[in-house]
Amino acid sequence: MAPLLHQAFRRKPVEVMAAETGVDGHGGGQLARTIGLFPLTMIGVGATIGTGIFFILSEAVPVAGPAVIWSFVIAGAVAGLTALCYAELAGAVPVSGSSYSYAYATLGEVVAMGVAACLLLEYGVSGAAVAVGWSQYLNQLLGNLFGFQIPDVLSQSPEGGGLINLPAVVLIALCALLLIRGASESATVNAVMVVIKIAVLVMFVVIGITGWNTDNLADFAPFGIAGVTGAAGIIFFAYVGLDAVSTAGEEVKNPRRTMPIAIILALLIVTSVYVAVAVVAVAAQPQAEFEGQEAGLAAILEDVVGASWPGTVLAAGAIVSIFSVTLVVIYGQTRILFAIGRDGMLPGFFKQVNARTRTPVNNTIVVAVAIALLAGFLPINFLAEMTSIGTLVAFLVVSIGVIILRRTAPDLPRGFRVPGYPVTPILSVLGCLWVISNLRPITVAVFGIWVAIVLVWYFTYGIRHSRLAAGTPREDMS
Amino acid sequence: MTVLVGLPRDERATAAVHLGVMLARSLDADLLLCTVVPPPWPPGMARVDAEYQEYLDRSAQEAIEQARRLVPGDRPASFVVARARSTSVGLLDVAREHGARLLVLGSSTAGVLGRVAFGSVADRLLHSSPLPVVLGPRGFRCRADATVRRVTAAFDATEGADELVVAVAGVAARAKAALRVASFAVRPRTPLTAGIGSRAEDAVAREWAAEVERAQRAVLEQVERLPRQPSALASAVGYGSDWAGAIEDIGWEDGDLLAVGSSTAGPLEHVFIGSRSSRIVRHSPVPVVVVPRGAAHALAERAERPA
Repeated sequence: MAPLLHQAFRRKPVEVMAAETGVDGHGGGQLARTIGLFPLTMIGVGATIGTGIFFILSEAVPVAGPAVIWSFVIAGAVAGLTALCYAELAGAVPVSGSSYSYAYATLGEVVAMGVAACLLLEYGVSGAAVAVGWSQYLNQLLGNLFGFQIPDVLSQSPEGGGLINLPAVVLIALCALLLIRGASESATVNAVMVVIKIAVLVMFVVIGITGWNTDNLADFAPFGIAGVTGAAGIIFFAYVGLDAVSTAGEEVKNPRRTMPIAIILALLIVTSVYVAVAVVAVAAQPQAEFEGQEAGLAAILEDVVGASWPGTVLAAGAIVSIFSVTLVVIYGQTRILFAIGRDGMLPGFFKQVNARTRTPVNNTIVVAVAIALLAGFLPINFLAEMTSIGTLVAFLVVSIGVIILRRTAPDLPRGFRVPGYPVTPILSVLGCLWVISNLRPITVAVFGIWVAIVLVWYFTYGIRHSRLAAGTPREDMS
Repeated sequence: MTVLVGLPRDERATAAVHLGVMLARSLDADLLLCTVVPPPWPPGMARVDAEYQEYLDRSAQEAIEQARRLVPGDRPASFVVARARSTSVGLLDVAREHGARLLVLGSSTAGVLGRVAFGSVADRLLHSSPLPVVLGPRGFRCRADATVRRVTAAFDATEGADELVVAVAGVAARAKAALRVASFAVRPRTPLTAGIGSRAEDAVAREWAAEVERAQRAVLEQVERLPRQPSALASAVGYGSDWAGAIEDIGWEDGDLLAVGSSTAGPLEHVFIGSRSSRIVRHSPVPVVVVPRGAAHALAERAERPA
């Protein structure tokens, strides 16, 4: 058993990571440090806003009541703590990657596979959730513009009384086609999307505040603290993406200073926008109306104004920006599987690059089909919770990893160190556990089964086929 | 064998003539230089715009005279003025009539010096010519006795890519030039908002390059079995964050020629430049020959024929 454990905890040498992606094709190479504080903050904001805020209130308000405002603050605080820990782990590995690669380089193979299992949820399932949210706004827009809506049978999951969520499936197929052709989101597109997202949310706040009705806040926390933390678990989903700041570390000017400030700034911006939206929403509409409301923000605006135009504008903005989020999420998912495939823990099929399109076509198709199935047949609240737990556990591992790494490799040069060690990572761990403990048991159970499946895969296939097992992870260093 | 050079009427066509001479010398071919003038319109009423016609004829003659001065004395060359509705149609007619095997054009004056830029005629021919089209970079010059020393075949391991390499190998052997098989691994930037770092695309490019290197080795083995060999064989993979960088990465010298295939989306017998070949052509620092699939097939067959 000991050799097996020894194998399971083998780490991927950093120089191998560097050589694998060699910048000039001959191994090694530094990326230019060109990203300053403002663009880095925008990366964080752009990667975060838009994943959840457009539809999460319909799921969270029934759980927490108007106290959902505090759920946002709690989720934001936990997200901020984890992002700081994540930045230290990312900074300890000189080559940039995903949390999978950071875990592989610092905590060992089996941990990396566990993190990979979480990332499949963080990316795949959130892609599905976002696509379902997109389909709500699409229906809203169609209704406003053409007086026509896609019938429930084709726009609802079976649990919602439909057959399949077709718009969500179509969106995912579209994104997959774009990715196969080799589209990727540029920094400019991200900047435009950030502006659109913030603009429509600000529009929501400005117009929505005219519908302020203090009576709606009367029963502030009908389900007490448990409701608030339960909702925080659902809402945590809306903070997925904040970690993108840390993964840009390799290109950041003066990362020790820029990184934490950018993470905290992005978090503050995102949290203030979310809280403002939440406050306005719960004040404008009685909490009973949130339950099952589709395209919530657009619906609230229309009720407040008594006309359809603000809802139309908001829906259009949501459709454009959610589309870009879905594209990036599916993209991220394919590249994570690609990395695992290159490390040998998935069949070679996943790292095959199509000669003509020069993109991992097989991998993209598999990812798209899987995400489309989730989006077509599962309800959004379940998808959001699964995303949250995946992300929370990944961050939990990262936070523990920071503590482990400080003990096992105290002299490792780190681009960034968590302020307030050891309190920060410990708080981060506790925060994650607290939010996880308030999720529905079914979510935790499904998550446990999923991780078990991935680990069984690892111990039956991955551990033997890993390129580290072959002893020479350098076959492509010619 | 004849090399046809298309001369523009209204500017000095030094680049096209220099390139034509170099190719004719390398392949030991005759030169045919042609300029196209539109026929009088409407037919039979030539007097109406006789003055304009005269002007056209005069400028065509001037272009021919200029070109004549540029052709070195030791190369057989003939000159022709063709009348046709459009320059591209006129050139193709002349090529058919004289059995030309290559069509040489200069770059548009709107392009960047030292890079290939399609003018309207080149653009037309790159979607319709049944014979290979050679484009010189803007401002191309070479010594009067220069020859092609190395032909680089752009190769991407897709269907039909081998045939182009074999075809180019045959031509390189005939010109006593070296052959280089080159692939370009372009790494797009990884969107940072995806949270997977800055190097995800590098990994994809590396994987693609590893595949393509295997295919390069296989196709060079194929070339080694040909009856007539190029003077040397080499392969290269250029890396870059864009096409320009990847193409620059493999290094270029005087006497280089780059060959690209035409897209499989187009008809077999005509050049149909795909988006990828088109990018390679536009960033090439050396003259480029674009080979239609039909022509590549015929040339590959000829290359494989026993000596």
